[in-house]
Amino acid sequence: METQAINTLTGVIDKKMTRQLKQYLDICARCAICKDACHQYVATGDFTYLPARRAELIRQIYKKYFTKAGEFVPALYEARDPDENLLDELYESTYACTGCRRCMYYCPFSIDTAWILSAAKAILIAAGKGNEMLGQLADAALMKSDNFEMFKDVIIDGFKDVEGKLKELTGDPSAEIPVDKEGADVLYVALAGAHSILPAAAIFHEAGTNWTLSMFESANYGYFFGDAEKARRIADRFMDEAKRLGVKEVVITECGHAYRVAQFFHEAWSGEKHPFKVRHILEVIDEYIKDGRITLRPGAITEPITYHDPCQVGRNGGIFEQPRDIVRAVATDFRDMTPNRAEQWCCGGGGGLVAIAEMEEFRLKSGAKKLEQIKATGARIIASPCENCRLQMEGLNDQLDLGITVKPVMDLVLDAMDLPR
Amino acid sequence: MSEDIKVDLDLDLKGLLCPMPMVKVSQRIGDVPVGGVIRAVATDPGAMADIPAWAKSTGNEVLSAGKEGDEYVFLVKRVK
Repeated sequence: METQAINTLTGVIDKKMTRQLKQYLDICARCAICKDACHQYVATGDFTYLPARRAELIRQIYKKYFTKAGEFVPALYEARDPDENLLDELYESTYACTGCRRCMYYCPFSIDTAWILSAAKAILIAAGKGNEMLGQLADAALMKSDNFEMFKDVIIDGFKDVEGKLKELTGDPSAEIPVDKEGADVLYVALAGAHSILPAAAIFHEAGTNWTLSMFESANYGYFFGDAEKARRIADRFMDEAKRLGVKEVVITECGHAYRVAQFFHEAWSGEKHPFKVRHILEVIDEYIKDGRITLRPGAITEPITYHDPCQVGRNGGIFEQPRDIVRAVATDFRDMTPNRAEQWCCGGGGGLVAIAEMEEFRLKSGAKKLEQIKATGARIIASPCENCRLQMEGLNDQLDLGITVKPVMDLVLDAMDLPR
Repeated sequence: MSEDIKVDLDLDLKGLLCPMPMVKVSQRIGDVPVGGVIRAVATDPGAMADIPAWAKSTGNEVLSAGKEGDEYVFLVKRVK
């Protein structure tokens, strides 16, 4: 690799080199506790997916260009140039990672491999080796906002279709899906699809919430792609909308990474404190149930049901109890998986993997631990508030013909509401 | 007009939730030759913005996009 190219890639690392990253790169003891924490390594036994190994590839470049020992005696310190072989290895191990951070949870030093891999993705993008599909999805999202006038009418037409279904569902001809409503208390940020709009709209309607729907989807493929600037701009679309409309809170739909981006990353990326709260839709629904703002039929679901903590909502988002309380409010036979909450196994569908066709076989194989957990509960329904998790578990379900139904949590709430339909 | 266009690949995207219709079109566009056309049928209204946005950002072309009953039908031409 030419010097100029190496300088570009090491420059990327230098830009990412916070004290935190340096510490992660310096202190790994190679104890390999992370091997038993990673669903991908456990399912495949492939060294490529060992968390410490994934980080080691970045560490090798770091040693060569950021430590004197590695610079002068590279062979002794396992220091390497970012050559094509290393970048190919890095691509496979990095874009396969779901960013679930279960390895960090068990690491004695809490090394955040996903954080290290965010530097890896930046290097790969600078080398022209970013994942093409994730990049395309990020660009498509920005295309909609950069040329909003071109897309505005079809987006609103789509909302009108959903509004028609809302009127039927609620039996209220005045039920509406408000958009661009100044003075609304809540800006709800859905996914691009109707499935994440209709249940929330019915719940907001029932609760009498003064809400408005974002013109933009919450999904953020810039984050999965690993381009922080694109990821910020994608989130800016609805954060700017929230500021313009003067809402009191932004409520993110049942999507794991979108919640984490909005709640934990966007302020740091934009350098501005949000003038509103950010909450996950399940926090809001749980509050509505407990405050009596929506009424549910207890025991609406009698089949055994379990709950999967999406990594970005649970372990990395801190939301554990509200979804369980919601499920218990509508179901008579709730069976938690073991382990659960912060120790929950990743299902294997995160990190944008469900969009990457060439990873499908690997992705489904990596769901082995989740499959064991699901089977052990004997549940017939799995509720989970993340689109990627649901797609993965539906894939596992289809592959093995388990006959299990995978549902968003808010669909359970909708099923348990007394609506004319 | 769409009846006059030769379709090289039919994609049934019914039941898929956004952004998966866009993902599937992107995954399969390489299966038709440059100049070839995919006819994609989706049921999620989000596809009406997603697929044209993907096409515009990747340099491909949506020849037509419209609603037929409860379905959204797209003719997408591979340009490069």
